[in-house]
Amino acid sequence: MSTHESTVRNRKWVTPVTALAIGLGYLVAGLLGDNLEFGVFGLVLMVAVGGAFWLVRTRSETVAGLLDRRDERINAIDASASLFAGMTTLAVVLGAFMVEIARGQDGMPYAALGAVAGVAYVAALVWGRLRR
Amino acid sequence: MKNVVKELRSSQGLSQATLAISVGVSRQTINSIESGRYLPSLPLAIALARFFGATVEEVFDVDA
Repeated sequence: MSTHESTVRNRKWVTPVTALAIGLGYLVAGLLGDNLEFGVFGLVLMVAVGGAFWLVRTRSETVAGLLDRRDERINAIDASASLFAGMTTLAVVLGAFMVEIARGQDGMPYAALGAVAGVAYVAALVWGRLRR
Repeated sequence: MKNVVKELRSSQGLSQATLAISVGVSRQTINSIESGRYLPSLPLAIALARFFGATVEEVFDVDA
């Protein structure tokens, strides 16, 4: 087995394992917050999402591409979709921040979320500029 | 940008799936390239050209 094949095989597990890790995080949060129902639901939901990705991969080239990351077109579509989701989230955060300020509040936690987004953008810009 | 991927593939009696496996992409990507909906990266364009024993400019028409 080549190194490339091994890498592709390992990549296929990233999304299901990440979904499982998030589910376990929900479970721990639910246990700590004395909300077992939320924790169990969150774990079951994320296991279902990860499992669905894993099962559908044999029937959908798009899902398979999202899992193994080999197809440049799927990767480009994924990057565009991620950018759209990120910009949408940022717009909502900025809007919510303005609403909170208009209501006489301190703008938290939206101010902090917006600041994280701004710092992350600048860091990514610098990183990308250094690498290319 | 127009290309002759479909013509070259058909002339060799290959399916989109076979070509896709040969150059390491999905069948959908080959379909998108052939229909002009997706412009491949330079490495993929070179891989396609090499597969057909042609140059990139013979496969992809930069003026069209």
